[in-house]
Amino acid sequence: MMLETYSYLPSLSEDQLAAQIRSILSRRLVIGIEFTTAPDPYDHYWSMWKLPLFDLDPVDADLVRAELDACRSANPDAFIKINGYDPVRQGQVTSFIASKPRRDS
Amino acid sequence: MPSVFKAGVRQYREIYWTPGYQPRETDVLAAFRLIPQPEVRPEEAAAAVAAESSTATWTTVWTDQLTTLERYQAHAYRLEPAPGRQDQYLACVAYPLELFEEGSVTSMMASITGNVFGFKAIRALRLEDLRIPVALVKTFQGPPAGIQVERDRLNKYGRPLIGATLKPKLGLSARNYGRACFELLRGGLDFTKDDENITSQPFMRWGDRYQFVTEAVRKAEQETGERKGHYLNVTAPDCEQMLERADFARQLGSPIIMHDYLVGGFAAHTTLSRWCRRNGMLLHVHRALHAVVDRQKDHGIHFRVLAKWLRLAGGDHLHTGTVVGKLEGDREATLGVVDLLREDYVPANRRRGIYFDQDWASLPAVLPAASGGIHVWHMPALVEIFGDDSVLQFGGGSAGHPQGSRAGATANRVALEACVQARNEGRDLAGEGAQILKEAAGRSPELAAALETWREIRFDFQAVDTPDVMPG
Repeated sequence: MMLETYSYLPSLSEDQLAAQIRSILSRRLVIGIEFTTAPDPYDHYWSMWKLPLFDLDPVDADLVRAELDACRSANPDAFIKINGYDPVRQGQVTSFIASKPRRDS
Repeated sequence: MPSVFKAGVRQYREIYWTPGYQPRETDVLAAFRLIPQPEVRPEEAAAAVAAESSTATWTTVWTDQLTTLERYQAHAYRLEPAPGRQDQYLACVAYPLELFEEGSVTSMMASITGNVFGFKAIRALRLEDLRIPVALVKTFQGPPAGIQVERDRLNKYGRPLIGATLKPKLGLSARNYGRACFELLRGGLDFTKDDENITSQPFMRWGDRYQFVTEAVRKAEQETGERKGHYLNVTAPDCEQMLERADFARQLGSPIIMHDYLVGGFAAHTTLSRWCRRNGMLLHVHRALHAVVDRQKDHGIHFRVLAKWLRLAGGDHLHTGTVVGKLEGDREATLGVVDLLREDYVPANRRRGIYFDQDWASLPAVLPAASGGIHVWHMPALVEIFGDDSVLQFGGGSAGHPQGSRAGATANRVALEACVQARNEGRDLAGEGAQILKEAAGRSPELAAALETWREIRFDFQAVDTPDVMPG
């Protein structure tokens, strides 16, 4: 599958992933983690991993990483994406696949 | 004493030159660049523009006295010499709201850009900007979807969208054309596009094209897992055929269609835009003819006005120029147009040629489309100039790749994502752009080949139309 932003780059390293999370947090966006085992271009609603993470600062990037890891442990065969939601614009403004199933990565 | 009708001709400036006039919030405001004939005073020329585009004709008429002209007259209220020009002036004219029909661009065009542009007393005239009051904005539908709804429908976030116009422009059969689409979409583009020349010629009728192209879109979606689209051009000889084509695109499941709004005209375009809103269809807007109207600095209509009219009439993408590619477009003027398409409130900024504050009052926004002679080396500059909310179109820059369209599309997608990633990491695209591309090419043979192919291609020409250099 070649879906979403960064799918045409090599998998993000740990440092690169942290940098992207910090970038979302520095824009004061709300972070949401979603996952699915069967991505479909017409599916807008992957499963939410808990509720979105509100009111985080860039220094809280580790907290996002911990949630991502927890989601991955519970769903080893899932695609997992990190979304950024802008409450001012009232819409999602950024998203990328942060983790792929081992067979697919 | 009953007064009698006094026939005759009065100087326009006696009534229409009103330097003390305070524009009302509901007035439509116009900024004109004008060159009077040598024997005509500038106040008279500005007043003539206000007069002839509102209530006056060349002579007094008895029926003037059956109405209250003060209620409907326009006011020329400001006049200044154009910077750096002896013979040229900038004039502002205010029009009362009652002069315009609700939800009608054609009404504004006929009034404000009508007879005055051919007036003998004026050598040249250009409409530079138009402030559309909120009271009038709210009578328009605007873009069928808008930027946020388009992103939500197509599930594409956090980066510019990328596309390509099919080349060669003319002469491919429908089946080969669909093949070319498939290769580009499968390689990583979000959209492919009909060239504006493609309507329904003998070598490829529109219905055949729509069917093969839609198959290509569907197959690329299945193989990549991403939503794709092709701008099916519905520009047609008449409105009935335009809507027939749009409806067939809808039946086939296409998410987007395309219209050439100046060629088709604002009445046809507005009909189509409203049809798109009703039918959940995105509308890509091409601008053939615009340079005939907007390129010369002394005469015509600036593109920022044509762009504002498009946002009112409705479109989800509009071509704006690239700054760096093969087509005309000064950087500051282009950024001004981009703001007018995307922002909800745009303050006056004379360095960008914006004369008035413009409040869009929550009208949906339009994605600027950058297209024309751009390739991978331009990617850092394009991402820096246009930001995430844009569509970057690489036609020749995809199909011209030495390994073909699919590799060309992949090269562009890799370059785009590398630039977005680097920007988010805090790197400077203007300063480090070439380095960022070279690093990405180390892991992408497609990008490496593209960088090699277009190494020396640049388009460094002086722009013909630029905003005035403001003193101070």
